[in-house]
Amino acid sequence: MSLLAAVLAFALPVVFVVVPLALFLVYSFFSVDQGTIVYAPTLGNYVRFVTDSIFVPVFWNTIVLCVSVAIICILIAYPAAYLLTTLKGRWRYALLMLLLVPLLMSYVIKIYAIRSILGLNGFLNKALVALGILQQPSTLFVFNMNAILLTLSVLLIPFAILPIFLSLERIPQTLLRASDDLGASGLQTFLRVTLPLSLPGVVSAASFVFVLAIGDFLTPQMVGGVSGFTFGRILYSQFGTAYNWPFGAALSVALAVVVICAILIGERFGRNRGTSV
Amino acid sequence: MGLKKLFVTMATIGLGIGLMTSAALAANLRVLAWDGYADPDWVKDFTASTGIGVDVVFIGSDDEIWAKIKGSEGQDFDVFAVNTAQLQRYIKADLVSPIDLTKLPNQKEVLPRFRDLSTVSGVTKDGKVYGIPFCFDSIGLIYDTDKVKPAPTSMSVLWDPAYKGKILAYDNGEHNFSFTALTLGYKDPFNLSAEQLAAVKAKLVELKRNVLSFYTTADEAQQIYQNNDVALIWANYGQQQVKALQKIGAHVAYVNPSEGALAWLDNWVISKGVRDNAAAEKWIDFMLSKKIGAELSERTGFGNTVTQTSSAGGNDKLVWLNNVEDPLKRSDMWNEVKATP
Repeated sequence: MSLLAAVLAFALPVVFVVVPLALFLVYSFFSVDQGTIVYAPTLGNYVRFVTDSIFVPVFWNTIVLCVSVAIICILIAYPAAYLLTTLKGRWRYALLMLLLVPLLMSYVIKIYAIRSILGLNGFLNKALVALGILQQPSTLFVFNMNAILLTLSVLLIPFAILPIFLSLERIPQTLLRASDDLGASGLQTFLRVTLPLSLPGVVSAASFVFVLAIGDFLTPQMVGGVSGFTFGRILYSQFGTAYNWPFGAALSVALAVVVICAILIGERFGRNRGTSV
Repeated sequence: MGLKKLFVTMATIGLGIGLMTSAALAANLRVLAWDGYADPDWVKDFTASTGIGVDVVFIGSDDEIWAKIKGSEGQDFDVFAVNTAQLQRYIKADLVSPIDLTKLPNQKEVLPRFRDLSTVSGVTKDGKVYGIPFCFDSIGLIYDTDKVKPAPTSMSVLWDPAYKGKILAYDNGEHNFSFTALTLGYKDPFNLSAEQLAAVKAKLVELKRNVLSFYTTADEAQQIYQNNDVALIWANYGQQQVKALQKIGAHVAYVNPSEGALAWLDNWVISKGVRDNAAAEKWIDFMLSKKIGAELSERTGFGNTVTQTSSAGGNDKLVWLNNVEDPLKRSDMWNEVKATP
């Protein structure tokens, strides 16, 4: 019985995670001719990815974009999570739930909503003009990289709040009191006790957000316009438009390498040392 | 005891319904179509008159149809709609079955130009008919009558710096290369030489810099139009888009460019993996009835192949879409256009 359970426990991830990933890897060594996949191994897809002038720059820009998204999310999520830990009892979790409510909504609906907020005649521009902050509607956040940056940040903030909140909550109150007893000011306690102990949570949050952002093609497709061209959009076009699955698979492998690195970094530095204190 | 009996009865009924639905699903005709080609009331009428249940899946782009049909080697659908330009690719890949016209009495009643199918480019191969024309429209230009004066006559207006950032174009490499080739005056926009492709690509990079965004669905274009300052829309969905925009109060008009408008012609085709050929034929014949044709045009604004409509004027020059020289090449070049800063 326990053997069966053990087999199942290994079989499920192998069948549903490892095998599909391995298939991707295998496909990335095939090629396409006249709309049919040629099953002869070749390194052509990888050579094309590295040598063609469009892929690597777009890849790099996308990584920079997603790192920026992660930084923005952390900057907003940290104060929010910190505020949560200062609340008492029931309020703390009620507010946490409220912050996570957006996750219950459909992703596409959220993007549509944000798109009508961002448009030239959208809510944001109308509000800024009405408040007298802008003379006329700005195109700064309309169908470009900024729009992607903003939309992804808004969508992914909940994923940053949770790990930071958990790491902050785990910090023993005794440490803060000890710091206070030894004469440290509130700021000193924060900078020298709270912040270092919560860093693992920050790193996990950043790697979460980064991974989710870099895998997203829908947001860039819908709010990116003509200048917000990301790696996800190229990847998507290989499957839909071009019907070049092998090349798409090779691009996916490149993306997977970055994602795995991000997760490893999150794992390496994200171990919560707070608990061992 | 009575309660137990009730439970057993309920369970039996539940099981019965479950079995019935699964049996119905197994026999249903599987249709892959564009939005507007299989409206619920038509499906209901069809099922009422033939007793054949229908499952409809809607698609959003030519590429999606190819991915779905090619991905399953035609096994996932019985009937699907595809345009003349695409059809040859499916015939070549052996994904569609020839159609027996004697099983389609309504085909004899269609408009003259669609009656002899050997004269409609792209729907036949080696004397066999693979596609039944159903619906057509031109890919023209929508312009805001308040913002664009005088009324444009050519697609070249899309490159006019006066409308920078006020243009919506369509996210599709094949079409964009074809219409730009027409604008540049090339004879055969579907077979471009390497130099012509390079020239078109350079022109498209210029277009990109004049464009606000590339859209994929008509709804998407409409939402962008409502929230932004848009003057011109390259109208992949032609009349359908015009109607929808006018409905929300937009002051827009439609024009087929003088250099020739690309025009698509959609056909019903039967896939290689069809489970019940007779049911598929019945579906196509039903779609060719005068009632459906008239309603199709009334609801979408598209021209139908059965009743006369004003979808494209008699003097408008239409260039029926055709197979392009190398779709993969155009798709890659389109990515390059989009990646150019």
